[in-house]
Amino acid sequence: MLAYPTVRTSFLFLAIALAGLLVADIAITTSNPWQDLGRFFLGVATPNFFSTEGLFTALLRTVAFAFVGVTLGSICGFLLALIYRFLPVRIFCAFIRAIHELFWALIFLQFFGFHPLTGVLAIAIPYAGIFAKVYSEILEQADPEPARLLPPGTHAFAAFLYARIPDCWAQLRTYTAYRLECGLRSSAILGFVGLPTLGFYLEASFSQGQYSDAGAMLILFYVLIATIPLWVRPRLLPAYVVAAPFFLGEGLPIVWGNVKRFFTEDIIPSPIRKGEGLAELSGWMSDLMINEALPGIWNTVVLTQIALVATGILSLLAFPLISNHFGGPVRRTSGHIFLVIARSTPEYILAYILLQLWGPSMLPAVVALALHNGGIIGHLIGRQTNTLQLRPDAPTGFARYSWELVPRVYHSFLAFLFYRWEIIMRETAILGILGIYTLGFYVDSAIQNIRFDRAMVLILITALLNIGIDALGRHIRRKLALQTMPTC
Amino acid sequence: MAEFDFQGLTASFNGERVIGPLSFQVHRGDHIGLVGKSGAGKSTLIRLLYDRLEAKAALVPQALGLVNALPVFHNVFMGQLDRHSAWYNAVTLVRPFRKDREAVRLLLEELAIPEKQWAPAASLSGGQRQRVAIARAVYRQAPVLLADEPISALDGPMAQQVMAMLTKHFSTSIVAMHDVDLALAHCTRIIGIQNGQIALDAPASEIAAADIATLY
Amino acid sequence: MSNKTFRKWAAASLLSLSASTVAIADTFVFTAIPDEDETKLVERFRGVADYLSEQLGTEVRYIPVKSYAAAVSAFRNNQVQLAWFGGLSGVQARRLVEGSEALAQGVEDEAFQTYFIANTNTGIEPGDSLQSMADDLKDRTFTFGSKGSTSGRLMPEFHIREAFESAPEDVFSRVGFSGNHTRTLRLVEAGTYEVGALNFQVWEKELSDGNIDTDSVQVVWKTPPYPDYQWTIRGDVNERFGDGFKEKVKQALLNLDDPALLESFPRSGFIPASNDDYEPIRKTAESIGILD
Repeated sequence: MLAYPTVRTSFLFLAIALAGLLVADIAITTSNPWQDLGRFFLGVATPNFFSTEGLFTALLRTVAFAFVGVTLGSICGFLLALIYRFLPVRIFCAFIRAIHELFWALIFLQFFGFHPLTGVLAIAIPYAGIFAKVYSEILEQADPEPARLLPPGTHAFAAFLYARIPDCWAQLRTYTAYRLECGLRSSAILGFVGLPTLGFYLEASFSQGQYSDAGAMLILFYVLIATIPLWVRPRLLPAYVVAAPFFLGEGLPIVWGNVKRFFTEDIIPSPIRKGEGLAELSGWMSDLMINEALPGIWNTVVLTQIALVATGILSLLAFPLISNHFGGPVRRTSGHIFLVIARSTPEYILAYILLQLWGPSMLPAVVALALHNGGIIGHLIGRQTNTLQLRPDAPTGFARYSWELVPRVYHSFLAFLFYRWEIIMRETAILGILGIYTLGFYVDSAIQNIRFDRAMVLILITALLNIGIDALGRHIRRKLALQTMPTC
Repeated sequence: MAEFDFQGLTASFNGERVIGPLSFQVHRGDHIGLVGKSGAGKSTLIRLLYDRLEAKAALVPQALGLVNALPVFHNVFMGQLDRHSAWYNAVTLVRPFRKDREAVRLLLEELAIPEKQWAPAASLSGGQRQRVAIARAVYRQAPVLLADEPISALDGPMAQQVMAMLTKHFSTSIVAMHDVDLALAHCTRIIGIQNGQIALDAPASEIAAADIATLY
Repeated sequence: MSNKTFRKWAAASLLSLSASTVAIADTFVFTAIPDEDETKLVERFRGVADYLSEQLGTEVRYIPVKSYAAAVSAFRNNQVQLAWFGGLSGVQARRLVEGSEALAQGVEDEAFQTYFIANTNTGIEPGDSLQSMADDLKDRTFTFGSKGSTSGRLMPEFHIREAFESAPEDVFSRVGFSGNHTRTLRLVEAGTYEVGALNFQVWEKELSDGNIDTDSVQVVWKTPPYPDYQWTIRGDVNERFGDGFKEKVKQALLNLDDPALLESFPRSGFIPASNDDYEPIRKTAESIGILD
């Protein structure tokens, strides 16, 4: 078996994760975690939909921010996709998507404050970078023959409109719809930093132990996401897009002087701002690197590697839940529900809940990341096994799982996993805001101490780390000849 | 006087020459049937000629190059995208103008698929798809037709009808085909390709099916 | 999406943005650091908003924020003109906004304290100084409140550093930031953390309301007094809301005598304060390196 490069790579990553476990801080620190978990599930089972007057407004705002942000992001991403072949554009897009929505929100909060633009841009900017990449991949896959056959002298715009777009349209639409769902998740968690979306109230109810209120919010959120196919109709879409900006809430007015101040003063490293010279700057920088950046990077990488392998294991365990090759309809239905809930809940919310229940350590983060990402990959792999035809006398049970199915889907499983590597790292960094000592912790601390110069350097480091992992992930996928559809 | 003078046509694939060097002339009014066994280099030659002729030629490649997601009308209309402004084309994508609809419908009637005008290309059978690609080439209104097995999926009478239509709409044509009888019936000149070289070049009236059989 | 739809969208969004700007241009907006449970804050400051609105004759609005830094930023960005800050956040805010001043503080804020609390399972006994409790405290798990809190972070960290001559991370086996005082109390009570530090007023109020399980958690050390919470106002409010506005706000705060409202802070009343009152806080913050 070890002759297969895919198997060798898997074992290498497994070994790294196990080594990571030795140095990682994995613990349940609460004295009665299961009792709290029980109270939480009781809360979900007895939801209270009418406690917060703001609940339905928050839901509306969540949808509005998602629509405006994703629309703006998809338009900009589409335009960027047209010029994606230029290296500077690719670098720019890699950079803007390497910074998490919450980090963008924290940045914009500093100068736009609680204006709707903060939330809209926090979603639109990273999404534009992601859309640009995926759209350009989709457009590249289009059959080039029709374009070659067009009469010479055809306007480039018309050629694009007729020979490129129609073939890609279905895929573009599917992907954009998928991103809209992601946008709802992003929009919801923006509430955790103070925007008027669901996360705002979720955080408030949770931290006060009002689990029935929190349960109501989570249930409404799942219903919102699960019913997307019902209420997001192509015909209704223009109406939504036009109406959404009106439901963002009024927020507080922008003071434009703040924007200038942020870029010309706040983010300039303080030794330069105070004119203290280069010696001071290098001292400032090395202090930042040694005390914050390096520990942050170390914890982020360790947690990412553990979470990646945990995600892999969970995906492999979870895909039979929805596979036609096992069990009956009842089991599969509950499997579907489990996976839908796992993948609809943003990692951030899952991690937040588990942190409240189990206390602070890397464990809640690992479980949250594995549940969310494992839910996504398990769903995709499970669906893939449903297209497989086994011979009539194929073995059943565990033999079927291990001999017939896993070998057939292992390639795409690894492809999805390495595709999500960068995403897991981006989330890992952001979970620091919740108190796990990853890069996000130090970014949040810098912001709490009103030291935006430090925060910006740390965010830049986070972005570079993500870009590095993205490149490494692509390299491994290429080496192992793993292909993914961009709709993962 | 030759209308088109092709000199020194060559093509290589993986460092191996598959075509030429070969040269020939085409006169206005020539309807050339390109014959030869598969792999002889007919498709490559059609491509080479298209690269030389560009705007003067309409091409029907073997793979047809239809945009599957678009209706038949738009696939045909694409033959004239260069004649309209970008906004005209953009509007047509959403809502075609009456005169274009009419022109395309007439062509489709000639090809016996008028009822398919608004069907997506993806939903058509192989023979229908070939006729859409032919309609696009005709709609293009170029002086020369280059076609690579354009009627391979059409049954007898329909193949006859389409070949007749092509010679009517194009003053000059070069059509690669494997059906020798059809080639003899509809072309004025036969060029036989063997191992990337011209093995036979004669007026259709002067040769018989048996002469061509030696190529295979 | 077609061009047309986009233009419509752009126009609509511009319209909504400008409309929102006009709507609240003349509203006097204030915020407060989120040092306690949100429901408590909203209840408390809605009351203050109504009171101020009545006293000042202008529309007054309270906006809740999710972090101390967000309160400071909103103040700095002139999106709020008045704020109920802690000692440290007030110092930060006034450093960033020229002309801003501390208007009033609670009677209790002149001599504020931090309580170190411990879960009773730890067996930690109350002591007179942190040094004397060193053996008990070392390698415990410990939680601060918010990262930007005076009573929940700055002062306890200062005293820990002074007593142990090392950073909290080196003294305790695990150091966390609970987010606010109520949560610190709940986490130590539940045993999630063995030791914590919180605002003494929150402790006393929760205690008198009967919300503390005294069998599970007890106070083990009290810091020396220091100045804390205060109302801080921007220097440019008179230009925007009319001459004498700042003074009117100050008088309104000093005159606040609604017992229910005062009880919600909880403070027995408000007294004048000045920027200089908070010099000790600034020096402490600089000494432990959270202020440049």
